[in-house]
Formats: sequence, C-alpha cells, structure tokens
Amino acid sequence: MKLVFERREAASRSATLATPLIALGLTILTSLILFAALGKPAGQALYSLLLEPFDGWYNISELLLKMGPLMLIAQGLAIGFRANVFNIGAEGQLIIGAICASALPVYFPEGTSPLMLPAMIVMGAVGGAVWAGLAAGLRTRFNANEILVTLMLTLIATQVLNYLLLGPWKDPHGFNFPQSVMFPDVALLPILLPGTRVNISVLAALIVSGLAYVLMRHRFSGYQLLVGGLAPRAARYAGFSEDRAVLMSLLFGGLAAGFAGACEVAGPLGQLQRSVSTGYGYSAIIVAYLGGLNPLGIVISAFLMAALFIGGDNAMVSADLPVAAVFVFQGLLLVFYLGSLTFIRHRVTFSWQGPA
Amino acid sequence: MSLNRRNFLKTSLAASTAIALPIPAFAADVLNVALIVPSPAADVGWSHTLELGTKALEAKYGDKIKVTLLENIAEGPDADRIMNKTVADGNTFLILGSFGYMEGGLKLAKAHPEVSILHASGYKTAPNFSPFGARYYQGTYLMGMAAASLTKSKKLGCVGAFAIPELITSINAFTLGAQSVDPAIEVSVVWVNSWFDPASEQQAAKALLSQGVDVIFSNAQDTPSVIQTAEEAGVYAFNLNSSMKTYAPKKYLGVVATDWAPYFLQSVDAHLAGTFKGASAWLSMADKCVIVADWNPDIPADIVAKITDVQAKLESGAFSPFTGPITDQSGAEHVAAGVTLGDDMILSMDWHVKGVTTPLPK
Repeated sequence: MKLVFERREAASRSATLATPLIALGLTILTSLILFAALGKPAGQALYSLLLEPFDGWYNISELLLKMGPLMLIAQGLAIGFRANVFNIGAEGQLIIGAICASALPVYFPEGTSPLMLPAMIVMGAVGGAVWAGLAAGLRTRFNANEILVTLMLTLIATQVLNYLLLGPWKDPHGFNFPQSVMFPDVALLPILLPGTRVNISVLAALIVSGLAYVLMRHRFSGYQLLVGGLAPRAARYAGFSEDRAVLMSLLFGGLAAGFAGACEVAGPLGQLQRSVSTGYGYSAIIVAYLGGLNPLGIVISAFLMAALFIGGDNAMVSADLPVAAVFVFQGLLLVFYLGSLTFIRHRVTFSWQGPA
Repeated sequence: MSLNRRNFLKTSLAASTAIALPIPAFAADVLNVALIVPSPAADVGWSHTLELGTKALEAKYGDKIKVTLLENIAEGPDADRIMNKTVADGNTFLILGSFGYMEGGLKLAKAHPEVSILHASGYKTAPNFSPFGARYYQGTYLMGMAAASLTKSKKLGCVGAFAIPELITSINAFTLGAQSVDPAIEVSVVWVNSWFDPASEQQAAKALLSQGVDVIFSNAQDTPSVIQTAEEAGVYAFNLNSSMKTYAPKKYLGVVATDWAPYFLQSVDAHLAGTFKGASAWLSMADKCVIVADWNPDIPADIVAKITDVQAKLESGAFSPFTGPITDQSGAEHVAAGVTLGDDMILSMDWHVKGVTTPLPK
C-alpha cells in the first residue's frame, strides 16, 4: 500500500481559516490528558497558557515587548525565505547588532547627547547587516551555502560577545561578572505605556512590517527578489541578478536582526549581557513560516508566538507546570497546526498498486 | 494537585467557562516561596542543591508553606517578567538562583518592601534583598591536598564555568592546597563560558587529559560531563555542590557540597517574624553550608589525617587558605607573609596564584 500526498489545486478557504482552531482544540484535548497525568491543575494551566497573556493592560504590554523583536526579525527573514535564501543565523546578527549598539554607551557611560540612541540603533542595524553580508559575500563569491555560514557565524558572534564581556567591555565595578555597565538614560528607548516595560521599538517593528508589505506587493525589486531566488535561470534570462537577490535577502535579514538587537540592549536589558537574546533569532524563523512568509501574517504570528512564550512562563509560576510540560504544550500546538495545514493543502490517497 | 476548595474553584471555573478569570487567592497563613534557577534542577548540580534547600523548608513548615520551582529561566527580560509574576501571584519570599537576576530582583525588592529576596552570588544589598554565596574555596583547598597525594604527572586540571572571583578563588585555593602537599604541582584551566553545556565541558576535559592532567576539578558545572569523562579515562575528578559519585564509582575524588537548608530556614524564620534584614551572607564550613564528603578510598592515610586536621582549623576559623606568603602568576609576592586576605579582597579576586599555568582571560 502506498500513501500519496497530492497537492490540492485550491485549499478550502473555510478550512484554512479553521486551521488554528482545529490545532488549538487538539492541543487542549491532548494537554488536558497530559496535565491530568501529571496531577497538575489543568484549568489553571490552560488559563495561564492561553488566556492570561491577554488579560489586562500589563499582560498585553509584556506581550508587545516580547513580540517586537520576533516580528522585526521575522519580517527581515521572510524576504529572504520567499527568495529561497535561507538565513538561519539571525540570532548571530542580533548579537552583533546588540554589540555594535552597545559600543557607544560602553565607551561613553556618562554620555548626555540625545543623538546617542539614534546612533546606537543605526550602528546595531548596520552591524547586523554586515554580519549577514559576510555570508552573502561567501555565497556569491565562493558559492558557500548560506545556511551553514549564517549558522556558524552565530557561534562566532557568541564568542565575540563572550570575549567583550569577559574582557574589555566588562563593567569595571562589576566584580568580573560578564556584563557591561548599565547604560545612561540617553541610551535607553522611551517607554510606550507608562508603568510598563514596553518601549517604542514595537512601533518601529510595525512600521518595518508595513515597509515589508509594500516591498513585497508593490515594488519591482520585491518581484525581482522573488524570481531571482525561485528560478535563478529564468531570472538571469530576464536580466535579474541572482547574486543581487542573495545579497539583498541577507542584508535585509541582517538589518532587521541587528535593529532588534539594538532595541533589546537599549530596551528591557539596559546593558550588554550574555543572555542578550533568548533565542529570538531562531524563534523568528518559526514566526516567519507560521505567518505564511506574508508581512501581515507575520504580525499576527509574532503576536501569538509571544503569547505562547509568555503563557508558558505563566503556567510554570501559577500552575506549577514543569518546564518540560510547557515545551510539550508549545510543541503540540505547532505540530497540530502544521499537521492540519498539510491535510488542508494536500489530498491524501491510498493506492493499492505495488511499488512503482 | 490537592483537592481543596481554592484549587477546585479555580479549575472548574477556568475549565467550564474558559473565559472566567480565576483570581489568585492564597490563604493568608500559607507562605508562598518561589525559587528561580537558571538551569534544569535535574538530579545533580547547583540548581538541585537550591531545590534541596527548599525541601528543608517544606519539611519544617509542612502545609504552611508552598514552594514553586521555576527552572531553566534564562537571565534577562524574561526572568524579570517571571519574578514580577511570582510576586503578583502572592509569593512573598523569593530565592533567585543566579547572578544575572540581580538588577531585576533589586527593582522588584524596591517596589515590594513586603517581599523578602535571597539572591545567589551577587554583590548588591537592599533592606529586603540579601546576596548569598558559599565559601567553596575552603573545600577546594582540601581537595587540592587530596589531589596532590594521588597525581603522578604533578599536573592538575580545572574546567571552569566563568572567570568570576568565586571560581577564581576556588581554583587558587585548590592550587594552594595541592602545593601544601607538593610544591611542584601545576594547574591548568579551561574556561567553557557556560554554566550548563555538556558538550563543551566534555571537550574541555578531554583537552586537559591530552595535556597529561591526572586529576580534574569540575568547577561549577551543572552536569556530570567532566566527571564521566575523567572516569572513562581512569583519572580522578571532583566537583562542587552535589555528589556525582554515581557517575564515577571508581575515580570519584570527592565533593565540595553545599547545604543551603540552614540558611534558608533561618531567613524564612526571620521573614515570618518580620525581622528579615538584607545583608550579605557568605557561608562557610562553620555555617554547615560547605561540606566535603565522598572521599575516595585511594587517598593515603597520612594525607587523610592531614586533611582532617586542616578541616578542623578551617571550621574553627583558625586557618584561611589565603594566608601569606602567596606569590602570583607573575612571580611577585601578592600577599605578604603572615597577612590573611580579608573577605573583600577574596570576593573581588582577579589574579591567579603561582602554579596555575593558564593566564586569566583579560
């Protein structure tokens, strides 16, 4: 017997819209069993995981804080992914962005110039773009696989961060602990909602999302990018450059990730430290694909992904869930979603003929 | 879950209506304690010993206390949010198990004077915020004596997590202890720059083995990687915090264990009595916090007798490993004869003693 997945010509619209609900329903059912088996309060756990992140202004502000970098990085990555250029190293580009942005407050901790913050953001974004640009150069010049190169550059970025924090950029009054000085006020992003931690970078991320939409839909260069990646030969025939598509894809990705890194150190962190990112660069890959590589979809998926992360943390605090159960819940939701999507986009047929 | 009225209400409300918001309501006479640690609590290591400390709280207070363990929480904005959430949920006693929680914990302490916070290995204090740590160096000095009696190559090794004073002092004391038995001993160090990274730790241990090291100090790893690698190579090894003897039945040198129970109990008692005062607590053998145990039977009897003797002096405070003359790596005399380093000098130590061959990362 053979199982054949055949792509449907058009996926049912109502089924596509129902996918998230189907996935959610299956996840809730499965996790109810899981939580019951663990002897944990299932009602409290589901409330913490799914509803509490949206409950009240404080929780929503934390959601916005968490979604900002995810959305920003995913928008940058999606440009490349649509062109079949796979930048897996946004994490490293974020770290380099955070480092470049931190250079100013580290060397001028008493600074008072209002230009410090804008300069930090620019340095962060450019730093991220340069780091991704290395991978672009290696790909266009030597045909080195950008997936491997961006990934390995992340390891190097982490070591650069370690070197700086254990050496020259260490807080001189910090007892050798690997972290920089606390930044001066002029190096910090203004708070968006008073009394919360969310800063104006989330607005910047929304603006970037708008720009990404315009690029994809209304700009010829967006089309060139798409064709250059998807069908390099056709693109060459049409006079579009594949190298240019690779370069632009990686530069946009690096720019966005570096920007996000700058916003993290100038935002909730307020200093450069080892855990400058909790895996935003990797999570953003999931966000980009869950959003269907569509700029509007990514805004929604970033919001939901942030809620999923925060809900997981809440459940550990309030429902006493072990961290592994939280990961299982988050994994179930993704697997059920992608699984449902596969069945909606594909027709499954059994064929009884012998092996072809 | 225990089926009391509160939990039942919470569960049924949330489950039946799904939008009903259960209000966290804690009985007033139960103390809610949250323990936040950076790595998985697992069966061994740093986070595990902190968890054991809270078990002693549960044993004493029974159902008058509820401990929530939050493990594997990365330092940074997420940790700050989780801390805030624990306080919003009604926890009034927090134990923060990593240096990187310091700034967030301090902010929280200032905003909530009714909450008492213990913070591991930091250096900032507030009226309701106490940094705490262990004088591991007392134990590593004794381990150094044992290591010197067993080494053939006269080369000892150390896999270190981060080059911070706490770990540097442990390595220096280990070296001084070894040199007290055999002055020719040398120690090399590999820093892995992580508290929890089994693969790098294993590689670091192998690098040391290839240099001819035949006793390894696993300095502040939360995994048994180094201990296991040493056992496979037939080389002695010891570690900090909790015993890993089951991972190395033959070559386990011993453990410099920590018992946080006395300190946690004393702090919670003070919190309940309303007398909690933020103060730095650097706990020693005399405080029953630092304990050496699981000694390997291969250690010669005369060395065991010496170790027992020095241990008694450490416990009584008659002896400190950091008593001059001590020469540093450059060969200069760093501590003059007869002088004993004060706590402030030990807590900020950023130099290695002579005999540590690896330069300190600058």
